[in-house]
Amino acid sequence: MSRLKYIYNHFCVINKNFTTKNALRNQFRFLSQTPSLRGLMEFFDDEKNWGESDVKSGRSWRKDDLRIKSNTDLHKLWYILLKEKNMLLTMEHEHNDQARLFPGPERIDKVIESMENLEEVVRERNRAYYELETGETGEQIEKEITGPFGLPVDYKLTEHSIPKEVNAQWQKEQEVKCRPEDVTNFLLKYKEKEYLANKRRQRRNFNHVIGLLNRFPKMDMEALKEQYPDVDIEKAKASRRYKPPPIFD
Amino acid sequence: MRLTQILYSRIGEWSKRYANLPERYIKRTMEQVYWRNPKGIQYKANTIIKRKKFHYTLDRPWSAQFYETNSPGILHPKVFVEPIKKWSFFKGDRVEILMGKDKGKQERGGVDVYIQEEEPLLVTDQVSLVDPSDLKSTGIEWRYTDSGEQVRVSLRTGRIIPMPATAEETIDYKSKSTYKEQPKDTIEKDVGEITFEPLLKTFEMDIMDKMGIREDRIPKKSYWY
Repeated sequence: MSRLKYIYNHFCVINKNFTTKNALRNQFRFLSQTPSLRGLMEFFDDEKNWGESDVKSGRSWRKDDLRIKSNTDLHKLWYILLKEKNMLLTMEHEHNDQARLFPGPERIDKVIESMENLEEVVRERNRAYYELETGETGEQIEKEITGPFGLPVDYKLTEHSIPKEVNAQWQKEQEVKCRPEDVTNFLLKYKEKEYLANKRRQRRNFNHVIGLLNRFPKMDMEALKEQYPDVDIEKAKASRRYKPPPIFD
Repeated sequence: MRLTQILYSRIGEWSKRYANLPERYIKRTMEQVYWRNPKGIQYKANTIIKRKKFHYTLDRPWSAQFYETNSPGILHPKVFVEPIKKWSFFKGDRVEILMGKDKGKQERGGVDVYIQEEEPLLVTDQVSLVDPSDLKSTGIEWRYTDSGEQVRVSLRTGRIIPMPATAEETIDYKSKSTYKEQPKDTIEKDVGEITFEPLLKTFEMDIMDKMGIREDRIPKKSYWY
């Protein structure tokens, strides 16, 4: 970790100039209100964890944990998680640069999972407010439209300053670039491909069920039906490839 | 989509619980992407071609050994896995071996899908649970108690086979109460503290009020399309 140490020393030199006066003059805004301000070193993990083979951590924040927290708490927690994520990504990048193994890589996933849960809880609260006040969710509206290839695509409505009737640029973007006869032709072939893939999947499952029946004569039939709902087991048993071994009891 | 769901569900739920790793991490480390559709107008946007067939061994799917057996380009013969309804063998359970040289022996089982001896055993017909009341092997059934809890019941004597204490053990702690808190963990008391108070405000409105931010400007009319 020689390079890390170099960066650390380098930052320590910079930090001497980061007095409050200088910071104010440079309009540097301290977002963090944690008692131990470590400056740019907050982008790096605790020095104790450098070179460790494993760094342990607790579980991520679940939605149920977050639902009982006030908005201010969630707001603070978001920035704590964001800082932690930045720190972990910096450390991962540094370890990759040095061709070292990054200890505790699941920490990144835990932080991201927590942030996703937090966002969902905040949206839940906002949705509740808007549904009560306006009868709508208040979220960006998404709808399914037919794309240029004749297939359904998701389209998110976006905000514009002028109506669409006078928005020439938007209308140009929406122009269908494919000839209708080409689209018909394409869709025919696309549907055929989908149909064949589906048939192939059905046949594969059917053959697999026969293989299972031949290998495990005392199998739980309900479990089999649950796992392969589209396979007719009676039909599989009627196949000439169904040769179960004799059972000696 | 259905296929991937089946694939990920193949990794034993209890193995994942023992490893104490988030689902996202397991998915991320296992993934072998061969092709991603570039950004732009595509007839199938965000298409990903990735490895679908994995050869599951005693190695954990997120380990380097697992990647070695499943490295790109290496395929294995198909393995037929007998479907079962619900997993009923847990770490610390006393089981009897019904097959081979060690037939009749009773062992303490690991968390694995298989019991790690010379050869893995099938849970369906090569091992069976032992009834604690008479120490003989028995078939089991999952039933509900009066309090609505699911328990394993011996088919022969009708007695409950209790869950072993080691079942909730993970790689990080023996039991939830003995978990040693890490420096960055939020303590249990703070996690359980209820600070939420219902208000007729959105999240943003509440934060602005608390931080003393006032917004009196009226936004220009906009169009959504």
